[in-house]
Amino acid sequence: MDKSLFRYIWRFSRRDQLVIFAVVLVSLPFYYLSLDLPRRIVNEAIQGRAFQNGHETAPFLALSISWPAWIGGGETHLWGGLQLERLQLLYGLSFLFLFYVLVNGVFKYWINLAKGALGERMLRRLRFDLFSLALRFTPDTLRTVKSSEAATIIKDEVEPIGGFIGDAFIQPLLLGSQAATALTFILLQNVWLGLIAAAVVGVQFVVIPRMRRELLRLGRMRQIASRRLAGRIGEVIDGIEAVHVHNTSRWERAEIGRRLYELFDIRYRIYKRKFVVKFLNNLLAQMTPFFFYAVGGYFALRGRLDIGQLVAVIAAYRELPPPLKELIDWDQQRLDVQVKYDQVVGYFAAEKLRPVDEPAPAEQAAASLGSPLAIDDLTVFDVNGSAVIRSLSLRLDLPTHAALIGGGGPEASILARVLARREPVGGGEIRFGDRALGHLPAEVVGRRLAYAGPEPILFPGTLRDNILYGLRHEPLGDGPESGRTLELAEARRTGNPIDPIEASWVDLGHTGAADEEELDGQLLDMLRRLGLGPDLYRFGHAGLIDPERNPDLASQIVEARGKLREELAEQGMADYVEPFDPERYNTQATVAENLLFGVPRSRQLVGRALAEHEAIRQALAEAKLVDELVGMGARIAETMVELFRGLPPGHPLFEQFSFVHAEELVDFEEILKRFGLGQRRGGLSREDRTRLAALTMGYIEPRHRLGLLDDALRARLLEGRRLVRAALEAAGSNEIEFYDPETFNPAAPVRDNILFGRVNNTVAAARDEVRVASAKVIDELGLRAEVERVGLDHQVGPAGRLLTAAQRATVDLMRCLVKRPDLLVIDGAFSSFNDEQTAAALFVAVEACEGRSLAVVLPNEQHRQFFDVVVRFADGSVQVEREPGEAAERRVAAAAE
Amino acid sequence: MTIDAEVKSLKQVPMFKDIDPTRLKLLAFTSERVSYRAGQRLFVQGDVADAAFVLLEGKVDVVLSDGGNQVKVAELGQNAILGEMGILSGMPRSATVVASEPSSALRIDRRVFLELLSQFPQMSLAIMRELARRLERTNAQLVRANG
Repeated sequence: MDKSLFRYIWRFSRRDQLVIFAVVLVSLPFYYLSLDLPRRIVNEAIQGRAFQNGHETAPFLALSISWPAWIGGGETHLWGGLQLERLQLLYGLSFLFLFYVLVNGVFKYWINLAKGALGERMLRRLRFDLFSLALRFTPDTLRTVKSSEAATIIKDEVEPIGGFIGDAFIQPLLLGSQAATALTFILLQNVWLGLIAAAVVGVQFVVIPRMRRELLRLGRMRQIASRRLAGRIGEVIDGIEAVHVHNTSRWERAEIGRRLYELFDIRYRIYKRKFVVKFLNNLLAQMTPFFFYAVGGYFALRGRLDIGQLVAVIAAYRELPPPLKELIDWDQQRLDVQVKYDQVVGYFAAEKLRPVDEPAPAEQAAASLGSPLAIDDLTVFDVNGSAVIRSLSLRLDLPTHAALIGGGGPEASILARVLARREPVGGGEIRFGDRALGHLPAEVVGRRLAYAGPEPILFPGTLRDNILYGLRHEPLGDGPESGRTLELAEARRTGNPIDPIEASWVDLGHTGAADEEELDGQLLDMLRRLGLGPDLYRFGHAGLIDPERNPDLASQIVEARGKLREELAEQGMADYVEPFDPERYNTQATVAENLLFGVPRSRQLVGRALAEHEAIRQALAEAKLVDELVGMGARIAETMVELFRGLPPGHPLFEQFSFVHAEELVDFEEILKRFGLGQRRGGLSREDRTRLAALTMGYIEPRHRLGLLDDALRARLLEGRRLVRAALEAAGSNEIEFYDPETFNPAAPVRDNILFGRVNNTVAAARDEVRVASAKVIDELGLRAEVERVGLDHQVGPAGRLLTAAQRATVDLMRCLVKRPDLLVIDGAFSSFNDEQTAAALFVAVEACEGRSLAVVLPNEQHRQFFDVVVRFADGSVQVEREPGEAAERRVAAAAE
Repeated sequence: MTIDAEVKSLKQVPMFKDIDPTRLKLLAFTSERVSYRAGQRLFVQGDVADAAFVLLEGKVDVVLSDGGNQVKVAELGQNAILGEMGILSGMPRSATVVASEPSSALRIDRRVFLELLSQFPQMSLAIMRELARRLERTNAQLVRANG
């Protein structure tokens, strides 16, 4: 990044800046003409000066050039123009005026657009450059960098810089030339007055920027303080669990409160300073006319200046302040933006960054790690500068499977990190064959080395996305080309990448799978062996399927529906599930489910939102169900008030059982009072009625047992179901995916599609037994693998928070295994596993790395039988134990176990 | 059967008879209504005591298993309460309870029950009174058995 903002802008936008400047210059004559035309309209057409001396007609649009006196003067007529009568001339000139107005408008539009686009392009480039720099932060820097600070810099702090870029060069040129013209004009009229004006301008340009320095210092403070605030808020939100566990929200509030005060204090000081400068600026601007009147008047009285000149000077002076003021504003903005830019660039200073990864030549990039692994006199320092590993020498013929056993110290783990290039080498050298580890190109490190550490890093997305993340090195194919022309052109203009994100980035070649389906098969196989099978089944069971993308599975699941029904009947469990039937009210489902007989596509469309939905409300009104539902809601509210009144708000029973939030209880008491009045007319507002009706939406008679639903009402709700569907279809709404016994419902999870009904919870243990029966049917139809495959689409949440620690570690390990590295380093990835899982994971890793190398940090000797070589660290010395040939046999024995 | 009917059943249980009807209604509302086929087990000896049951309809057998032998020690009918000592003491189930005919019961979750007791002292007092009465009865039986 350039140190100076202006150099940065000039380097990347020179051409655009010059084009805009040229257009501004071209537009100036038109602007001048549009100012001059009103004079001509009045003088020539209306007052008729063009028709003096008995001329009947006057020339219009005549073109001639007047030559200046120093090349001989005179006038060359290019075109005589049209001869027009007086009225014609008026109209001609008026339309000409209109034409110039339009031309000016078009110029202004183009210039603003070009300036805006220029600013946005530069902003895009700047943001992208900063992001690229952020990707190069060194491990040392990353210990101190806060992610939310970097985010606020790239997102917010550069924003004003973008706004300024369009004006960076054009504004001072334009305004400067305007101000200089006015000043020259004054100087030509009277030297003294000109000097006075120049002196005041000089003071403005010298004193005020000095005063503003303090302002800039404060601005810098403010920027840093608000960045820290953003960083701190990010920290607290990320660590919110610790805040809740230790109940430190009061301290955190106080801490943020103090920061907000500091921010206020800085801002307040900025205001004080800013308005003093403003006051001085205004004063100086007003002083000049004082001098003009006093000094100019004195000259005029003495006869050294005529009144006309004085008036002209004062008039010219009036032209001076606006551009001057804007120029000073521009200068202020420049300093401001420069400070921001310096801050931003400082944050991404070169010493904090790794060197740029130059793309390596193809044959080097594709090369595998060589053999042997030779570690020569290796020394590694920790953060505090003390040596953790001292003069370690080691030679291993690759491929090999090595166990690094630490014996309580950090050496094994550090060596693992150094091998995976996660930690810098302090001294000595590590070589793979004839290439030094430090000089391996990034491509080779990314493809040939893998590291599964103690803190797996997951990104939001599906399980599959996260597992295949390590294969996303480059786009394969071009992706859709059409419609991307503009996007590509913009990317090229702004130094952004033109890689299509729509293309497939998953490098199947490295996985050994022929296509994505086979790859999924491989993943499922490994995940099962890592013990994630039941989890995947559960995820898939609760997952959604797009029947258009996966029509076979959808129809098989509809088939499973019938099978499950038969299975339940066979086992005498027919009454365990109440199926969805278009013609019957499902007593185990909520009122809302019965009314809709379908699933809302959006999670928002429940309870209140449902009762407020326009089409549904109309349908309910048509079915004359509204009064019924409101009455039912009132009964529910009454019961809730009666039952829960004695409980303090926030009591767990509220959350678990009440239809009404604790805070709403008082509201409903009021509503019930009005409901009492309502039967004698007046009372309930529309809002009240909606709230009461919304309460009924979640009601299930056998579960809540308030005795609110009888057969008559059920029949009417069925009628309501028909009308709701008709109304939604008439409104062209696709918010609800309706149930159909013969088709798959894409808005409902696989589980509900197989069940196609609701479990009868009043039967003891029904839920568990139905789950078992459902699993049996899925197995009989051979669908388990398919359901598990749906589980690969399970969302892991931000940073994988929807998974358990062991699941996250498994995903991270899979990510390493699936790219088949030449050397897989596993360090602490098993810390969240139990013994059984650790053994399974080791076995999978050993098998997957057959013919390739593996280095695993082990806490003790327990699993050493899996390895060819054991590297033991004890009391600062290293001991290598080689067991060639025997390990494989032992591995077979371990597998048999 | 609605909650109000269940409250009537709860009132018949000596342990609950002194408790305010509104609280009983809350107890019923926060409990689950579960039905059992003949031969289905409500709970098994040695399991964690996670709920108490009030029998609303049907009959159940209380069975003790000693080694391999199953010994039926009692038969209980409508409005009987089962497993209440377990949820108070936290001890595992001391016997197995099997429905001897199609039955239905109100399943009172242990956590919810304790929550209610800690919230409403009057409920706790009623329970204590019943426990004291039982203790007295047992003492009297002991005296009689020894004398």
